[in-house]
Amino acid sequence: MKIGIPRALFYWKNPYLWEEFFKSLGEEVILSPETNKEIVIQGTKISDPETCFSMKVFFGHVFWLEGKVDYIFVPLMKSNKDKLEYCPKFFGIPDLAKILVKTPILTETFDQRKRPIEETLEKIAETLNKDQKTTRKAIAAAFAREKEKKAKEEHDFYKTVKSEKKKIVLVSHPYNLYDDYINVGIRKKLGDLGIETICIDEIPLNLGLKFSPEVKFHWEFGREIMQKTEEVLRYDIAGAIEISSFQCGCDAVLKEFVEKRFKQSKIPFLYLIIDEQSGDAGVQTRLEAFVDTLK
Amino acid sequence: MKLTFAYWGNYTIAFIALLRTLGVDFISPEKTNTATIEEGAKLSPSMYCFPLKVNMGNYLSSIRKGADTVLMVTSLSGSCRLRYYAAIEDKALAEAGHKVDFIIFNQSYKDIYSKIKEISQASNWTIFKAVCIFLKKLRMIERLEKKAQYIRPREKIRGEIDEVLKWSFQELDEKHNLKAISVLEKEIYQKIREIEIDRNKKVPRVGIIGEIFTVTDNMVNFDIEKKLGEEGIEVHREMNISYYLKKILFPCKDWIMQRKIMPYLKSTVGGNGRDAIYEMLGYGEKNFDGIVHLLPFGCMPETTVRPILEKLHKQTGMPFLSLSLDEQVAEAGIATRIEAFVDVVKNHYFRKEEKS
Repeated sequence: MKIGIPRALFYWKNPYLWEEFFKSLGEEVILSPETNKEIVIQGTKISDPETCFSMKVFFGHVFWLEGKVDYIFVPLMKSNKDKLEYCPKFFGIPDLAKILVKTPILTETFDQRKRPIEETLEKIAETLNKDQKTTRKAIAAAFAREKEKKAKEEHDFYKTVKSEKKKIVLVSHPYNLYDDYINVGIRKKLGDLGIETICIDEIPLNLGLKFSPEVKFHWEFGREIMQKTEEVLRYDIAGAIEISSFQCGCDAVLKEFVEKRFKQSKIPFLYLIIDEQSGDAGVQTRLEAFVDTLK
Repeated sequence: MKLTFAYWGNYTIAFIALLRTLGVDFISPEKTNTATIEEGAKLSPSMYCFPLKVNMGNYLSSIRKGADTVLMVTSLSGSCRLRYYAAIEDKALAEAGHKVDFIIFNQSYKDIYSKIKEISQASNWTIFKAVCIFLKKLRMIERLEKKAQYIRPREKIRGEIDEVLKWSFQELDEKHNLKAISVLEKEIYQKIREIEIDRNKKVPRVGIIGEIFTVTDNMVNFDIEKKLGEEGIEVHREMNISYYLKKILFPCKDWIMQRKIMPYLKSTVGGNGRDAIYEMLGYGEKNFDGIVHLLPFGCMPETTVRPILEKLHKQTGMPFLSLSLDEQVAEAGIATRIEAFVDVVKNHYFRKEEKS
C-alpha cells in the first residue's frame, strides 16, 4: 500500500518519525516534494483566504498527493508528552483535508494527555492490519531514528556555538525553519553574509536552569521557544530573527514576549513575516541591513 | 482603586449593575465607536485579533477618565488567543506608558466568586443580590433582543421597536433594585404589545453564527441584526452570554454538540468553532433561508471551521455569507454585501414557497 505524507506542518515536528514508522511497517511511503512554487500557488487557491500561510502550504502538499497514493497520512496532533497543546489549527486539519481531497485520509488522534504516542501508533498499525511484532519493531525503529537525529543536532549545535563567526539565532516553528522555500532560503542567505545560524529548536535544554516565565503558555511551541530563548541568551549571540507566517495567530502572541526578552538583553531583533508574496530581493535587503547593525 | 472593563454590546448594562450593587468604585466604559477602535488598534499588535483592539480602545478612554484597574475574563476552555488577552493588553498598555493593574477572571464560577469577594469586600448577601440583579437584567436584555428580532421585519411603522429598545435600555440602566426592574419590565412589554405588527406576513429566516463577541456586540458588527430586520428578515441567534454561562455550568452540552458534529469535525478547535457548525446544522434542520457567519479577521477557530461551513452550505443549498470584521472594514462595504445577500435570501425563500 502507498502512504503519502505531506512534507509540511506536522511532518517537521517529528521529521523522520512518521517516514521511518511506515517504512518499517513494510508500506511504501511517498513524501510530497519539497515546497515549490506550484504547491504554494495551489495551496493558496484551495484553502481559506484568511488562514495562515503555513496552512495554505500544507493544503498545497495534501493536494499534490491526491490520486498518487492509497492513503494520505494526516494525524490529529492534540498534545505532546509534556501535556501541552499544539496550535488549535492542527486540530482541524484531518477534517479539512477530507473536504479537499478524495483520497482516503489515514488519521488518528495523538493526545498524550490521554494515551502515550506508542499506543496511538499501534492503533494506526492495527487499521493497516499489521501484527503486533512488526508494529513494535517499527515503533522502535522510528524512535531510534529520531533519537539519532536529536543527537546529531546537539553535536552540530555545540560546534556552531564554538565558531568564531557572528551568530544569529532563528526563532520560529520547525515548519518555517527547515522548509527553505518558505523561509526564502534565509539560512543560506545569512551563511553567504558570513553569519552562523542557530535554529531555536536545535538548542539542547538545560534542565538545571531556573525559568520563571512571564506568561505560562499552554502551547507546546510557546513554552519551548520561551525556555530556549532563555537558554540561548547564555551564549554569545549577535542577533535574533523571528520568522512567522502571515496570519499566524499563535505568533502574534509569542512574538510580543520573545521580542521583549531579546530587547531586555540588548540583542538586535528582526521580525520577518513571510507569505506567498515574499520576494527574494526584499528579504535579502532586510537581512543585509540587519547584519550591518550587528556589532 | 478605580475599576473599568471592556464594553460588550447591550450586556454592558448588566455588568454595570453588577459592579454598582457590589459597591465598588468603577468607570463604565465608553460605547465602542470608530474613534475608540482606531485608538485601540494603534496600540495593539497588528496581527492580533479584532476584539483585543476594540477592548484596548475601551480601556484607553476609561484610563483617561481615571481608571487604574482593568477587569478581564480569559478563556479556560479552548485553545484560542483569548487566553492571552490580559497578558498582551497589560504589556501593550505598559509600553504606551499607562500604569494599570489587571484582575483576571478564569471562566469558572468559583474563581469569579472569590475574585469578586476580594475586590469588593462585600458580604455574601450583597454578592447574592448583585448576581440576582445582574442575571435579571441580562435575561431582560437578551429577551428584548430576541423580541426585536421577531418584530423588526413585521412592524407596520418601521423603527418603532428600535425606539422602544433604546428607551428600555436607558431606563434599565437607571433601575437599581429588583422591584423597580420588575415594574419596568411590565411597562416595556406593554409598549411592545402596542406596536402594530403583521403576524401573517411571510418572512424569510436567517441564522447568525460565529464568534461570540462579533455576533453579540452591535457596535462591532455594524448592527447587522437591525439591517437584516429592516430588510424584512427574521434573524435568529443562539449565541449570547447566558448560552455561554450555561455551557460552563453544564459541560455535557459540549459533549452533545460534539456528537452531532462528529461527521464534520472530530475535535474542538478552540473558541466558538464547534458552536458555529452545530448551530448551522440546527438551522439547516429547521429549514432556514440563510446563514450569516461573523468573525474577527484572522480568528483562529472560525477560519479553521469556515471550509466546513462552506461545505454545509453547498450540501444544503442555504445561502451563506461570511463577514470578517476588523478596524479596516468600512460600513459601506458591509452594507453592500448585506444588501446582495438579502436579495439572495429572498429569492431562495420565494422559490421555496412556490414549490410548496
